[in-house]
Amino acid sequence: MFEFAEWLGATPLSVAIQSRLWLTPLLQTIHITMIGIVFVSMLNVALRVLGKIRADEPLAEVWHRFAPWFWCALGVMAGTGLVLAVGEPVRQVTALSFWIKMSLLAIGIASALYFGRTVAAAASSPDPMASSGARFVAVATIVLWVAIVFMGRWIAYDVEIWESWHLA
Amino acid sequence: MDLTPIVDAAQNSAISEWLRTSLKAVAIINAFHVISIVTVFGTIFLVDLRLLGIPNVKRSFMRLHHELLRWTWGAFGIAAVTGVLLFMVNAVTYHRNTAFWLKMGTIVLAGINMMVFELVTAKSAASWDKGVMPVPAARLAGALSIVLWVAVIVLGRWIGFTKGYDFTIPEDVEFDFSTE
Repeated sequence: MFEFAEWLGATPLSVAIQSRLWLTPLLQTIHITMIGIVFVSMLNVALRVLGKIRADEPLAEVWHRFAPWFWCALGVMAGTGLVLAVGEPVRQVTALSFWIKMSLLAIGIASALYFGRTVAAAASSPDPMASSGARFVAVATIVLWVAIVFMGRWIAYDVEIWESWHLA
Repeated sequence: MDLTPIVDAAQNSAISEWLRTSLKAVAIINAFHVISIVTVFGTIFLVDLRLLGIPNVKRSFMRLHHELLRWTWGAFGIAAVTGVLLFMVNAVTYHRNTAFWLKMGTIVLAGINMMVFELVTAKSAASWDKGVMPVPAARLAGALSIVLWVAVIVLGRWIGFTKGYDFTIPEDVEFDFSTE
């Protein structure tokens, strides 16, 4: 993986990204605004499950209100994230934070897909998600996405945070 | 106004010294700063979109405003506290940084926009609460808010890339930004 990252970092595409000094801050800005949309879309659905907001609106409607924003912003986030990673591949693969972030992201995406399917299937019943189990999942989902943002930020501080667990 | 004494005091304070020597503290504070900023931006963006009638005007504006703005303010409080701490780590260099002052100025402008909206425009909110397009002043406030908060994020990232130092990067010199 490290050899692959070194090879990728020397490709003309990666060099082209690295040589445009304005590109990284621009992509990071887009990446961060998209995180805002993804995180708050998730937060609205989770808070609805917890009964904190939109209590008058069926859960399925809340999900359908936010799902397109969640998935579109996630797509832009993935795109900008990919270009950023190609621009600095060695930094990514040597960061434990990066691998934790990707693992948590996989869980976040899988659970959102599953949630979308179950909510759509249960749309006819008035409120399919009010059990204590559902409330626990809602809180866990908020914690999960907070952790994803933390890991994203900590790619820049990988050595400080993980010390000898840093992969280089 | 000469801020040098305040800036020096911040830079030389015990807490600032502790933050500089404790490696993990800055990383943890920085992560809290980011999560609170994305929450501020995301929740305000949602209210702003509603003011612009996006995706529609079916739901009560006042209810949305009431339910979301407590999260916005909570997150803004965390962003402000962590922001002050991050400033203190390198107060002297940030204080000379153009991007830093532009960011602070933009936050003030966003605050003025919000105050005008809350104190003037929102007084008539009951008449455009739902089912009709908000008045032009409300739509303007929403659009301005989106532009200003995106600018705050742009400028925040810009601070990270100027590292607190204000100079023009010579074209033939390569800089390693990999630690930030």
